[in-house]
Amino acid sequence: MQREVGTLPLAPALRARLAAAGFQTAQELLDTGPCGLSKEIGISREEALEALQVVRQECHGDAARTAGGSGATRKCTALELLEEEQTQGFIITFCSALDNILGGGVQLTKITEICGAPGVGKTQLCMQLAVDVQIPECFGGVAGEAVFIDTEGSFMVDRVVDIAAACVQHCHLIAEAQQEEDLGKALETFSVENILSHIYYFRCRDYTELLAQVYLLPEFLSEHSKVRLVVIDGIAFPFRHDFEDLSLRTRLLNGLAQQLIIIANDHRSAVVLTNQMTTRIGQSQSTLVPALGESWGHAATVRLIFHWDNSQRLATLYKSPSQKESTIAYHITSHGFRDVQPPAVTHSTEGPELNPRKRPRTEEEKQ
Amino acid sequence: MAAKKLRRAQLSQEMCERLGRYQITTCQDFLCLSLLELMKVTGQSYYEVQKLLCKVSRACAPKMQTAYEMKLRKSVNPSSAFLSTTLHSLDGVLHGGVPCGSLTEITSPPGCGKTQFCIMLSVLATLPVSMGGLDGAVIYIDTESAFSAERLIEIAANRFPTYFDSDEKLFCMTRSIHLYRELTCCCVLKRIMSLEEEIISKKVKLIIIDSVASVVRKEFDTKLQGNLAERSNFLTRGASVLKYLAEEFSIPVILTNQITTSLSSGPGFRADLVSPADDLSLSE
Repeated sequence: MQREVGTLPLAPALRARLAAAGFQTAQELLDTGPCGLSKEIGISREEALEALQVVRQECHGDAARTAGGSGATRKCTALELLEEEQTQGFIITFCSALDNILGGGVQLTKITEICGAPGVGKTQLCMQLAVDVQIPECFGGVAGEAVFIDTEGSFMVDRVVDIAAACVQHCHLIAEAQQEEDLGKALETFSVENILSHIYYFRCRDYTELLAQVYLLPEFLSEHSKVRLVVIDGIAFPFRHDFEDLSLRTRLLNGLAQQLIIIANDHRSAVVLTNQMTTRIGQSQSTLVPALGESWGHAATVRLIFHWDNSQRLATLYKSPSQKESTIAYHITSHGFRDVQPPAVTHSTEGPELNPRKRPRTEEEKQ
Repeated sequence: MAAKKLRRAQLSQEMCERLGRYQITTCQDFLCLSLLELMKVTGQSYYEVQKLLCKVSRACAPKMQTAYEMKLRKSVNPSSAFLSTTLHSLDGVLHGGVPCGSLTEITSPPGCGKTQFCIMLSVLATLPVSMGGLDGAVIYIDTESAFSAERLIEIAANRFPTYFDSDEKLFCMTRSIHLYRELTCCCVLKRIMSLEEEIISKKVKLIIIDSVASVVRKEFDTKLQGNLAERSNFLTRGASVLKYLAEEFSIPVILTNQITTSLSSGPGFRADLVSPADDLSLSE
């Protein structure tokens, strides 16, 4: 109630008038009432009423926050957070080595960034994740939908059809092996057409469209509450050309990162970004580093770098708050993203398998 | 989309005038400002500004389509999804041929046949759909002056003797191949920018740029300071315009590139010099 007038979210002109008239705290405004306010600072009664409603809303929000209730800021203990994390789902990638080093798969409510040279498989992984997020819960998935924002035009529908068909077939095999009723029922709605109709695709041609789309994303996600994955394929591409003002670019990118973090948390979805690589020329040699500069490195929570070693594709976990750095090999087959060899079936090496909804993977045939 | 004026974004007249005084006339200018700056400039409260942001965003955000709708649209017209190269094994590997609606890059050391391949594809594109062509005109941007019209006629006459049985047909085909000789990066970029109207007026169904690498290598010495940024700027700008044209008109775009040897500490391996489709450019 003692909040200063200058910090209230009113129009600047109105704030200037209030300051000139001598108002200092929000309580003073509320005590004056709309008619008194309109007479003192010379605005209409409707405007005064609107301003007072805003003030009241703000003060209520403040009070709720200080009383420890749920407001715009969430407050919880680490124990509550631990329980939440343990029951949280992961989006599997069908490459168990990659899932292992990530601690189970792509985590919800976190931003994961995939960097790599052209042709190494970033878009393939994004398409695989857009299919995998829709796997029903009884098979160990999160049963969500996917938003795919494409800035490079590399989304190929036919490829997604192949990946979806392989995924559906995989689930059918598991259902047959386990012979349980609910698995069969879930499979009725899990078909290629269904998978495709739950991937929402946006094609952004430049950074303005990308910014506009991210502003509208919270509204879209509230309407489609089952979305659990937002993929932005090619966050670097629209920002790398036509930008003379690098400080503007940094500001826009930081704003984008903040909005994505809010989206990831509020809607409990995973955000996956792909980035390009650029060469940093050092004293005597040059190294390949992710594009968009150092400050962008802070935006993502988890960073994966895909690279080549002769003709083998490798993935390195470069930055993660809970897993250690490691490198694994993967393959891109006609069925999608896969391991190099069939994985061994031992539950102890499955990683922190604390998700009770996840069924253990049985020995299945890989293509 | 970015240069859309705010007037057309359904903002009120007085708001547009007010923003105009601060030199904010397009959606791009509006979206680049932070919330506090927007409050100052529009004179509105925080919540009003957020509503304005949503309005402007809606005016320039892309339309949503599900992957299923995309697939349906493609399956409606399957024959127009590829330009068959008539080389059966190559078509098999490419799942049908050169895809329409995206960029394809052809790379090789000198003398392997890139320009010949491009000339052959130009002939194929002018053939009617029943023979596997696209029945349209071709825009050929030549930076090396390597295009030979005589060779074009020779290929056409020998490959499809039954179709090109008269001189009349040959000349008709050559009339629909539009050749542009551009010798500098600047000219190439200007030409690419002006292609949209040509595509509509001349009913173009194939764009070939032969070659991007030669004109870039001539002008940008990567050892000089500042050239890297300019080079990658030129490449990404050209690439994004070409991608837009390819997708908008659903036509194939073919670019040729050169191979260079990259000297590194390990065994010298070949690497692409410039890869406009997904550029591995040097840092700024």
